Amino acid sequence: MKLPLVEDELASCVSCGLCLPHCPTFRVTGEERYSPRGRIEAIRQVHVGNQPADASFVDMMDTCLQCRGCETACPSGVPFGHLMEAARQGLNEQTRYQPWYRRVGYRTLAYHRALVIGSRALALVQRSGLVPSRRLGLPDRLPLRVPALRPQTVASGAARVWLHTGCVMDAWQRDVHAAALAVIGATGTAVTLPERIHGAGCCGALATHAGLVGVARAQAEATMRSFPGEDPVLVDSAGCGAQLKDLGHLLGTDEASHFSTRVRDIHEWIAEHLDRLPDGVGPRRTVSVAVQDPCHLRHVQRAHLSVRRVLAPYLDLVELDDEGLCCGAGGAYSVLQPELAGDIRTRKLESIARSGATLVASANPGCSLHLAAAGLTVRHPVQLLAEALGLVDG
Amino acid sequence: MDGTLVAELSASLSPDRVHNDHLEQVLYGRDASLMRGDAGVVCFPLTTAEVQACVRAALRHDRAIVPRGSGTGLAGGAVPLEQPLLIVTTKMTGIEVDLDNRVVWVQPGVINLDLTRHLKPLGFHFAPDPSSQQSCSLGGNVANNSGGPHCLAYGVTSAHVVAIEVVLPNGELAVLGGLGADPAGVDLRGAFVGSEGCMGIATRIAVRLTPNPPAVATLLADFVEPAQAAAAVSAIIAAGVVPAAIEMMDQRITQAVEAFVGAGYPTDAGAIVLVEVDGLPGGVAFETEKVREVCMAQGARSVRVAADEAERMLLWKGRKTAFGAVARVKPNYYLHDTVVPRTKLLDVLRQVYAIADRHDLIVMNVFHAGDGNLHPLLVFDAREPGILDRVHAAGEEIVRASLEAGGVLSGEHGIGLEKQPFMALQFTQPDLDAQARLRDAFDPDGRCNPAKVLPAGSRCGDLAHLDAHHRERLLADGVWV
Repeated sequence: MKLPLVEDELASCVSCGLCLPHCPTFRVTGEERYSPRGRIEAIRQVHVGNQPADASFVDMMDTCLQCRGCETACPSGVPFGHLMEAARQGLNEQTRYQPWYRRVGYRTLAYHRALVIGSRALALVQRSGLVPSRRLGLPDRLPLRVPALRPQTVASGAARVWLHTGCVMDAWQRDVHAAALAVIGATGTAVTLPERIHGAGCCGALATHAGLVGVARAQAEATMRSFPGEDPVLVDSAGCGAQLKDLGHLLGTDEASHFSTRVRDIHEWIAEHLDRLPDGVGPRRTVSVAVQDPCHLRHVQRAHLSVRRVLAPYLDLVELDDEGLCCGAGGAYSVLQPELAGDIRTRKLESIARSGATLVASANPGCSLHLAAAGLTVRHPVQLLAEALGLVDG
Repeated sequence: MDGTLVAELSASLSPDRVHNDHLEQVLYGRDASLMRGDAGVVCFPLTTAEVQACVRAALRHDRAIVPRGSGTGLAGGAVPLEQPLLIVTTKMTGIEVDLDNRVVWVQPGVINLDLTRHLKPLGFHFAPDPSSQQSCSLGGNVANNSGGPHCLAYGVTSAHVVAIEVVLPNGELAVLGGLGADPAGVDLRGAFVGSEGCMGIATRIAVRLTPNPPAVATLLADFVEPAQAAAAVSAIIAAGVVPAAIEMMDQRITQAVEAFVGAGYPTDAGAIVLVEVDGLPGGVAFETEKVREVCMAQGARSVRVAADEAERMLLWKGRKTAFGAVARVKPNYYLHDTVVPRTKLLDVLRQVYAIADRHDLIVMNVFHAGDGNLHPLLVFDAREPGILDRVHAAGEEIVRASLEAGGVLSGEHGIGLEKQPFMALQFTQPDLDAQARLRDAFDPDGRCNPAKVLPAGSRCGDLAHLDAHHRERLLADGVWV
């Protein structure tokens, strides 16, 4: 089966195996089929070696978290993310890879009002105790009400930025956006929220990872249009930020490449405006905070150090000793591959336990939900910052 | 046809650790070399008893066995031929520290760097540090008697392994060596280390705990000419300093690596030399100064000392990821790891460049200069027609040049499948016969990693019936990717 990949990218893997320990699924299984090197070889066998794209091949692709930790480790610079997305795209185009209900699910993310209402309905049912929340990857208590977001009033003529609010995060973790607005406002910068254009809201990251390129492109295109002008677009979800920074690759237009240059992870932006933030208020927190790096912040955007720069003046931070290995969340992965996701999370929990920290900072909604489902206290770095600055209640 | 074998193995291990999937077998047909073979059933034991069960099941079904760790070998040592039972040790990752005896017992699947990290809070490490240390397994290190940059001062794997529990090719268990200072009897432990999986499967390995040095300094010396760099290496040793490591990289590899690591390597240098000295702070300060003086006297443009641990790690990261980084130039590489006397280093290096030029190939050199262990990387694109023949021809000439200079075939990567044809260049028939008979003592039926290391026909008696057609067939059937 010919896969829609770039053959030079496929050829760039020399099979040295230096990626193996940096792959979360290899780490917990020790099996070549669940390693980046093995997956690339499988893609090669299907693409040029006439092996069938059978159930075994699909399993090798499906079990990849797309954390891209292998890209950070790879001395040859193999663009593994591209290869995996192309493999899944090829499976979608030539087989019944993604069942209809999943396709519908990914499409629904673009209908924001429906998403918020649906989430509220689910929250009500959840209160009845009839929903196995953790098994479905849901937060323990979905919010019944999502308060309206109100950007702060700042001096006229102040610089402006956009805040990307997204899909699921806006429905489930709007308090993170509220904290982001408060922090941005405290720097004296005005915030605009995205225009509610039809089909905008979801950046298309989940569809991209699922290989549903058509859906992803439509969602990304609409999201891009909801941020007109030239103001920077700040993103407080690592996965969405990684997607929006790479729209040139997905959409293949100059407009998209240009748009991507406007996209900043919110911590990158705050780190550049630290001098405009007020001093912290109240007693310094006595507990230390473990920084959990979302993979798409560390391995894709490579902007994870800015989280530390932003928090270090206000909190005692501790580093985890697992070299940024994925926590097992992986967007929809924790729902689709619960067993592997659980084993991978166990490693992360052990690392957090060794660090001695009782509070975890995570800059991605998927990671925080996945870790919180294991009983950890997880906050977004922006929330911790807003609390330390006395902008919101802790 | 594998049905009963799979059923028996599933009963002894568990069904989810016995795999008979075609695509997966294709993945296990390779290691990090260019060779490709054909795996049979793949099993993942957890314990010594399970390894014994695997070996015995293979015995009952008249199957060969091939042990495999992380599959980072560069000589095809783990490449399976003719569908053997593949015994993969990656799930065997137990570590038991025995501080009283100053050893640590590990299962073979433990990753080299994981062991060192595990020992760090105790103030120890495992000294052999191959460039693949972040991925390679201890079982693989034992099989290949692996080296690494720091083996100049600390010695290769054999110097660190004190005892090995081995599942022999007949399924029985033996412990070779022991924790005492001088275990009684013939040193079978020494024979087993470096036997490349041909004498059984190590299931527990006791290695020495090496104390972490109180102080370490890493220097980067930058030379216009490779000749100056090579001269500096000899001059450092001649000055009475035995650094923990001396590594050399030529311009092409330095440029390729710098693009990945950004360690601040001078990309306009003809060659760079990385030197590490360790020990007590006073000694380290003295030796650092000494090495700097020697390098400057040999014409170094500059000598930079890593200012902190982060810079030190970055300098090493460049060296340790050098092989992978060559893919930034061409997608494939082929290398030998011959060892030549340090005094002949420059001479052989010149020949290596000339050989590559003659075959119109790009060669990059990165090597353990301190012990003369060359790693000339021939980089190429396998999709180019006819290039593999040129690569092999050049490889053979490099081996010949090294041996003629008084060198040996392999410093640390092992012979495996790839360098087997060259064994006869280094050893005479009686030498090969002696080695074959030692191997026979462990594995009389040739079940364990067959057709590796010793070329067919090594035994005086079997020249006639094995030699020609067996080897021809192995190497002709597209074993080369």
